[in-house]
Amino acid sequence: VANATTPGVRAGQLALLIPVGSDTYAIPLETVREVVVDPRVTQLPTSPAVVRGVFNVRGDIVVLLDTGLLLGLRPCTGEPYAVLVETAHGTAGLVATDMPQTVRLNESVGHSDIEGTTETYLVADARLAVALDVPTLLSPARISQ
Amino acid sequence: VSPQESLSEGDFQRLFATEAEGRLDALVDDLLELEKHGANPEVVASLFREAHTLKGGAAVVGMAHVARVAHAMEDLLEEVRRERRGVDTALIDAVLAGVDAIRTLIPLAVAGQEHEQVAFEAEQRLRIAVGGPPVVDDKPAAGRASKRAAPSAPAAPSPVARPVSGGEPATPAAASVPPLDEASSPEPEPGAGTDGTVSPSDAPVALSPVPPPAPSGGARRPAPPAGDHGAAENAPTEAHATTDGAAGRGEPARATATEMLQIPVHRIDDLVRLIGEASAATLRLGSALLERLERDPSSVTEYRDLVRSLNQLQELALHARMIPVMSLAPRLRRAVRDLARETGKEVRFETRGEDAEIDRGVLERLADPLLHLVRNAVDHGVESPDERRLHGKPAEGTIRLHAMQLGSEVVIAVSDDGRGIDVGRVREAAGRTDRSAVEMDDEAALYLIFRSGLTTASKVTGVSGRGVGLDAVRASLNAVRGRIEVRSDPGIGTEFRIAVPITMATLRCLVIKAAGQAYAIPLHSVRAVLPHQPSATVGGRAMTMLDGRPVQISSLASVLGTGNGTAGPSVVLAGLTRSHAFTVDDLVDQRDVVVKGLGELVPRLPAVAGAGVQPDGSILLVLEAAGLIERARRMDNGDRSLEAAGGGEHDEAPQQHAASILVVDDALTVRELQRSIFENAGYRVRVAVNGEEALVAISEERPDLVLTDVQMPRMDGFELTEAIRKQPTLASMPVIILTSRGSDEDRRRGLECGADGYIVKSGFDQSALLSAVERLLGAER
Repeated sequence: VANATTPGVRAGQLALLIPVGSDTYAIPLETVREVVVDPRVTQLPTSPAVVRGVFNVRGDIVVLLDTGLLLGLRPCTGEPYAVLVETAHGTAGLVATDMPQTVRLNESVGHSDIEGTTETYLVADARLAVALDVPTLLSPARISQ
Repeated sequence: VSPQESLSEGDFQRLFATEAEGRLDALVDDLLELEKHGANPEVVASLFREAHTLKGGAAVVGMAHVARVAHAMEDLLEEVRRERRGVDTALIDAVLAGVDAIRTLIPLAVAGQEHEQVAFEAEQRLRIAVGGPPVVDDKPAAGRASKRAAPSAPAAPSPVARPVSGGEPATPAAASVPPLDEASSPEPEPGAGTDGTVSPSDAPVALSPVPPPAPSGGARRPAPPAGDHGAAENAPTEAHATTDGAAGRGEPARATATEMLQIPVHRIDDLVRLIGEASAATLRLGSALLERLERDPSSVTEYRDLVRSLNQLQELALHARMIPVMSLAPRLRRAVRDLARETGKEVRFETRGEDAEIDRGVLERLADPLLHLVRNAVDHGVESPDERRLHGKPAEGTIRLHAMQLGSEVVIAVSDDGRGIDVGRVREAAGRTDRSAVEMDDEAALYLIFRSGLTTASKVTGVSGRGVGLDAVRASLNAVRGRIEVRSDPGIGTEFRIAVPITMATLRCLVIKAAGQAYAIPLHSVRAVLPHQPSATVGGRAMTMLDGRPVQISSLASVLGTGNGTAGPSVVLAGLTRSHAFTVDDLVDQRDVVVKGLGELVPRLPAVAGAGVQPDGSILLVLEAAGLIERARRMDNGDRSLEAAGGGEHDEAPQQHAASILVVDDALTVRELQRSIFENAGYRVRVAVNGEEALVAISEERPDLVLTDVQMPRMDGFELTEAIRKQPTLASMPVIILTSRGSDEDRRRGLECGADGYIVKSGFDQSALLSAVERLLGAER
């Protein structure tokens, strides 16, 4: 089980793979509440670009964040899937541009240099997945930047 | 229950009503003084001034009947002032009857009603007391209490007015105008003195040294210690005001003690909650009707009846939880007294607005912020007696707590007449950690006091200097969807204004569309809804007219950054100090929204108050008027700076509207009205309450123009103008005298003492005033 000192996922753990464009990210499966298909998003004007809007999950208002922009990369095109992630500051949605999948991770193949990520893993069908540092990425301070 | 569609006028009427209360108290005090000790020129002058100011204020807020009675009162007192008439019972009774009539007429006017009979009888009685002929024309059908057709309601004739007015019948208060007999039953007979005499020529009661006894529920108060008059503050101020306040203001019948029932609060809370749930279920029922039966719920009579009954039920239940804002006053008074003693200061605590009520839950959350503000006022605001004397102020400082209901909000002001906030020091303190603070203008820098960790106090005391406080005040207010504004004049004082919704349960909203997206706007911030408005660009800003006053206008979609302008209707939103019009695509409807926060992960967005989940599962964003207005203004300023950088040919246009105006008037209503007129037109406005104060303000910062009333205590408008003209550096500064006295003699005197313009308030037309100001400012440049 991941704890505060070891953000992200480790080898042998179950992870959810989040496809974003041509990249794939991984987060610990136990932080994922559910995946919402085709969320009905209401834009939140005047908010930073990383906030794609808010959507309704059984009466709760949840913010949808652009996974690409959160990492300082290209924005996502479209928002066909929202991965609901539990954080210390409440639930947030991360955009996935393709169907997320669950995998058990192999050994890390190297450190990732992107801020807000930890290690790189080789996953099935010879894809590389970069593990996200969820507490760092999903903090109010980073989102307001 | 407030008629939302006439808020613009209503706001000022309520402001006037509150102000008039104090003036009427002062009038009664003065009258009783005359009755006791006979004619005294000072007291007569004070009486005359109060009547005069009442007349002016009433005319400005459109209370014609009140103005008529006050005018007759003024004329009668003018006779006494000029020693053409002595003081006797008939005079005192006539003026007291006038006071009673005004007390009856003001709440009626605020409720959009008139009472010709009351005005007529009081006026006639006052005219007869002059010795002149009675007024014979326009005698109305006796017993008529007519409902006014709210002529200034801007949206009334337009087809888009319905959403704002609720799509419902007139508010209960306005709809059920009782016949005269019932309407006036808790009051003494209109025009009657407390001695029971109705006939003006019949004044049989001998002059008594003791104030006549007030009938139960009567409007006359036995010599109340009016706060305005600096009466000794041994007795708590609110004591007099609350004991007979309701009856004195001529409110409709109040329950007597035997009709009261004590109910545990939680029962009411349960009731409110259940009604809320029933309302939410009704909305779901409406969407089920639409989806499953394809029936538009608004076309189903039974559904509409249900919604209407639920709305009324909700309103009644919410009202049951209301308590007076001033129930907090004793705690605050005690804190002021204790801290004043501790710090060796002399402080008087005054309260106004005893009738303003608020949800118990909201008021509980306000206790700490208000306590903090009054303690701040004692500790930071009011100077030591020695320092005050040194600056020519009375040794005793004054802290005022003033509550007022505006629409579905309560505005609570905490003001002091102390040293004001030193913006330079605030900027300096904030600049230590934030370089951008150094560049801020005074207004922006003043708001730095709400930042956490900021302190300008050089030493830490028991109450202040620790840099915690005002940020906590702001945070507590955010929790009740309240907001706070501050104004401060160095050497003159500071005022914090808190605006909070009267209740938190649900928020009645106007739903509009902008760039294709629906948004909810809390109805209490909506001043008016207008069909598509023509707009003109003035000084780089798009302006439109509302009630003859210019209002800045922007496209909502552009301000939100979601699209461009549309040619749709406009919604005029009111912030605490200014209004702004926004064009939208369309008006959708009006609904109750259970507003939720957006969560910790979403950064604070000043233009978004929260969101509600709709019965169909979609999310409706609730906009925040103050944040939107601020954003629109900032965008406009940005545009203007771009224009200035690119063009540079129109050298006068961008600067012209940053001109500053000093408004000098002792009447709060007139001051605030003028402030609003000029601020909406883009001017910077400062205010002063008499000539002396104005001279101080001018010496601190030279305004571009002075607009002054004539009748003011301490130094009147003529004297002020003369004093200004005597100073060579001020010789070219335009001065406009604005008065309700239109006599040739006064006009000549005004122009002789050096005024550039003389405008009579009775013919007071805002666009004429604005164009006079523009002309004079243009001429000076």
